[in-house]
Amino acid sequence: MTAFEGVLFAGVRAIGLPVQVETHDDLVLIATPAEAPRSIARDQIRADAPIPGVARLLRLPGGELIETHAYDAVAALWPPKDISARVAFAIESRWWAAITGLVLTAGAVWLIVAFVLPLAAEPVSRRISPTVEAFLGKRTLEFLDRTILKPSTLTEEETEELEEKYARFVEGEDARSYRLEFRHAGMPNALALPGGTIVVTDELVHATANDAEFLAVVAHEIGHVRGHHAMRLVLQDSGLAVLMTALAGDAVGTTILAAALPAVLLRTRYSRQFESEADDYAFAMLKRHGQSPQAFADLMRRLRLQLHAKEESGSLLQYLSTHPATEERIQRAEQQR
Amino acid sequence: MNDHGTAALTTYRFDFTGRNGEYFRIWVVSLFLSVVTLGIYSAWGKVRKKRYLYSHTELDGTGFEFRAAPLAILRGRVIALALLGGFALSGHVLPIMQLLFIIILLVLTPWIVVAASRFNARNSAWRNITFGFDGGILEAAKVFLALGALAVLTLGLAYPYARMRRARFIIGHHCFGDTQMRADLATGGFFLAYLLATLMLIGTMVLFVAGMAGLVFASGAANRHQPSGMAALAPVAVLYVAYIAIYAFLRAHIGNLTLNGVVVGALRCRSTLRARDLVWLYLSNIVAILATLGLATAWVTIRMARYRARNLYLTGEAAPEAFAGTATGVSSATGSEVSDLFDVDVSL
Repeated sequence: MTAFEGVLFAGVRAIGLPVQVETHDDLVLIATPAEAPRSIARDQIRADAPIPGVARLLRLPGGELIETHAYDAVAALWPPKDISARVAFAIESRWWAAITGLVLTAGAVWLIVAFVLPLAAEPVSRRISPTVEAFLGKRTLEFLDRTILKPSTLTEEETEELEEKYARFVEGEDARSYRLEFRHAGMPNALALPGGTIVVTDELVHATANDAEFLAVVAHEIGHVRGHHAMRLVLQDSGLAVLMTALAGDAVGTTILAAALPAVLLRTRYSRQFESEADDYAFAMLKRHGQSPQAFADLMRRLRLQLHAKEESGSLLQYLSTHPATEERIQRAEQQR
Repeated sequence: MNDHGTAALTTYRFDFTGRNGEYFRIWVVSLFLSVVTLGIYSAWGKVRKKRYLYSHTELDGTGFEFRAAPLAILRGRVIALALLGGFALSGHVLPIMQLLFIIILLVLTPWIVVAASRFNARNSAWRNITFGFDGGILEAAKVFLALGALAVLTLGLAYPYARMRRARFIIGHHCFGDTQMRADLATGGFFLAYLLATLMLIGTMVLFVAGMAGLVFASGAANRHQPSGMAALAPVAVLYVAYIAIYAFLRAHIGNLTLNGVVVGALRCRSTLRARDLVWLYLSNIVAILATLGLATAWVTIRMARYRARNLYLTGEAAPEAFAGTATGVSSATGSEVSDLFDVDVSL
């Protein structure tokens, strides 16, 4: 026999009545001060899933409710059937288990972000039809032309000369059609858009000291195109957004802030990986064409000097920049020489 | 603050008795099992978290009860997440599609509000008596879309009125058991609160621009360097704090105005939120969450729940025992989950 006390809420009025519960085998006796004791079969009563620190609720067949703090008695008489409730309750009740869960969560998130998402995005990006990719690239270029890019100020001869060198460089590379575009943007930069369009800014052309450096840039961007990096970044970003929302879940307000910061850092990680991949491709391609990756290192070094002349302090924003540490990239190029 | 009211009135207090350690563990387990089960457990985790918070929110010594079935929440969550995924992806693919999504979401707003309110009300109970919501989609469309459009067309002048009507709609269509709630709201207070907030906003902007001009002038006179990265961020941080202060002011005043207008039978709500308390709470919440990479979320939830509960009372001549229960039905969680993920405001 087990006996415990609780409060009975009949659900007719918002009144709680003290109640005595006694169990005899599979029979439960319920006694309130006002009424004669009743007996109910134990399996007719449902107990809610246990949560640490939450009073147990017993639901009687007619919709009545008994609230009790007799945790041990209820746990023994009505063990939770639901496996998820048992597992959750067991972990929630123990600090060491909860902390272990926290560490495992961090590890799992890291695994998903660092490996699962990139691994999943890669095959998906390869299956996207070239027409869709070309369409996206066109849309992106239109958008950039409206916002940050201006028509190129290079002379026709300069453009033709560069295009000729570029054509010779990519000749026989593969069946894909790359397209070279020049734009004015106010700073040295090059972009690879989905579908194979490579945009090189006038400022970058001016920053190159020779053809080898220009071709190093082109090779790097071809690396981005061949790796479908633009599409993969879109896919991984979307996956990240879904993951962050799933994690933050019922989060509103301030928690979003907490989710946004890691998301920014994680995005940066993806971009860095793609830069390294494109670098590797560029080094191999340059070597195939009898060029030295040293040209890449030289250009990087010059661009870094230009950048430092503008922004003297190593700011936080620079630390967050998408390109991997320039020094590291220069060294890698020089090792490949 | 008068806790006791006048002689004939009795005050029934809300209280919050949740503990940080307990809730932190429930929160962590929810996070952990959600990740391990690829998000499926999140519905169960949500129910457990809400059950903890509800049961520790006490009125007159009895906790509330959250009874939603995790499966209903999971179903809603899948739909909401699919919508969100589509929204995120469409932003990359076709910005015009994102616009379409926003329009669809806007058109769906009345349904989301009604469905979410009904789901939450029916799954909330106190002393085994459930709440209910009987607002119609047509009226919701009028209050949320038509008055929302009016607010936009009048460049925000009609917004306080729209906000008041929204609160009146949500409150007035709630019931507790057999007792229909009533919203006793006046537009004047809403207009005053938003007018003051607007003045504060304008004042902040003027001070900010003047301060920036002063800073640029001073640094230009001292040397010809641009202010360095961190120094340039300082005014932005000040501006951010000012925004939070104005936001807290609005939350406190609109919250009090709204809650003080809630009448349940012979009882009336009394809310004593204070802007300066909320400013401190919001600022320290943000700092704590950022400093702990989100781990302080559980602590933030508990302290906000405690603050809200301890600033809420019911006063009146009748005792809450007078409330009678009523039959309840089943409702879908889709609206509730969509409103959660897209942060549609159905709050009072």
